[in-house]
Amino acid sequence: MKRLLTGLALAWLCCFAVLPAAHAHKVTVFAWAEGDRVFTESKFSGGKMVKAGKIDVFDSSGNLLLEGRTDDNGAFDFKAPEITDLKIVLTAGMGHQNSWLLSAAELGEGEPMPVATPDTRSEPVVLETPQEKVTPEALPGLTAREIEAIVSRQLEQKITPLTRMVAASQEKGPTLSDIFGGIGYIIGLVGLGAYVRYRKDSRRS
Amino acid sequence: MHISEGVLSGPVLVAGAAVALAGTAAGLKKLELDRVAQAGMLSAAFFVASLIHVPVGPSSVHLILNGIVGLLLGWAAFPAILTALLLQAMMFQYGGITTLGVNTVIMALPAVVCYHLFGPFVLKPSRVAVPAAFACGAGSVLMGAVLAGVSLMFTEGSFLEVAGLVVTAHLPVMVIEGVVTVFCVAFLKKVKPEMLPGYDAAVLQRTKN
Repeated sequence: MKRLLTGLALAWLCCFAVLPAAHAHKVTVFAWAEGDRVFTESKFSGGKMVKAGKIDVFDSSGNLLLEGRTDDNGAFDFKAPEITDLKIVLTAGMGHQNSWLLSAAELGEGEPMPVATPDTRSEPVVLETPQEKVTPEALPGLTAREIEAIVSRQLEQKITPLTRMVAASQEKGPTLSDIFGGIGYIIGLVGLGAYVRYRKDSRRS
Repeated sequence: MHISEGVLSGPVLVAGAAVALAGTAAGLKKLELDRVAQAGMLSAAFFVASLIHVPVGPSSVHLILNGIVGLLLGWAAFPAILTALLLQAMMFQYGGITTLGVNTVIMALPAVVCYHLFGPFVLKPSRVAVPAAFACGAGSVLMGAVLAGVSLMFTEGSFLEVAGLVVTAHLPVMVIEGVVTVFCVAFLKKVKPEMLPGYDAAVLQRTKN
């Protein structure tokens, strides 16, 4: 019995030695919008990227809008065909699937309305500073709408790194408390079984 | 080998749940109260085993240990695996609640089949017992992969293609589990042979001789 216990304890330790390097058996997809472009990132939990996973994009009523495959970094981006709630479904093969809902509000709310200055229409990722260009000459003529567009674009730029950080931290895999919690449940069930057994025994006697 | 929510069609889910329910009922009926603790320990081992992953190609596969669970528990593998899978679905979001039945069948049914196929041989001399233990560990993963292919073929196209993919991905796991099962059996034979199936019969035979 003592040797059995030692063996079990060793096996236990081995489990934890392997844990940090483990990839969990689950896929996640995370999507965020920059202007009207939607970026997605797909990974197996534990951080391994999903290569050539299939991405389907559906609108709110379930119509397929477009489909594509993730590249080697698990990334796939597309231009939103319309401003609507998007459901992005990742299928990674062998029964792995997950989805992400991207609301219309995230899809650049200010985007559909026409923006007067050409600067505000340029690629959101380009790091040119609109304050220098736009503000001095156009300040007197700026409408509330234009200011709103500029602010939202700047805000988007500032938020992008944060969004990526959130994307990166989306999937951390099971934590120790999850693992011990599960084992605790099982021990509890065994205890329940033992309780039932002894109750029966004591009734009989 | 955990199939996610929303991949399978309705009839497959219902059929899986029905088989899992029947298997669990049979397992609970056959589980003597003295062995509840053993079932719990193996359930816990199965629960944790899924965290040990082997990266393969674009995906990653993990240890399943359904062979050893089946070998030591027989029909009681159904409730043990169902419990572990339910907890994995809740804690780790592996698989899902709707696919719980199908996933249980995929992993527990091969366990029971291997118990009946290879169980009688593990207490024989080691030239028989070692291959039997290996076949038990590897075979239960193989059968699980084939069952996963069967359940996926209704939604993901041809059976051969899907099953081939799943089986190929699990080849390393089969080898690892085969070896693990061999070591487990050898260890238990020395330390606690009464845990292995067919122990009573073997003792009976020895006393006769």
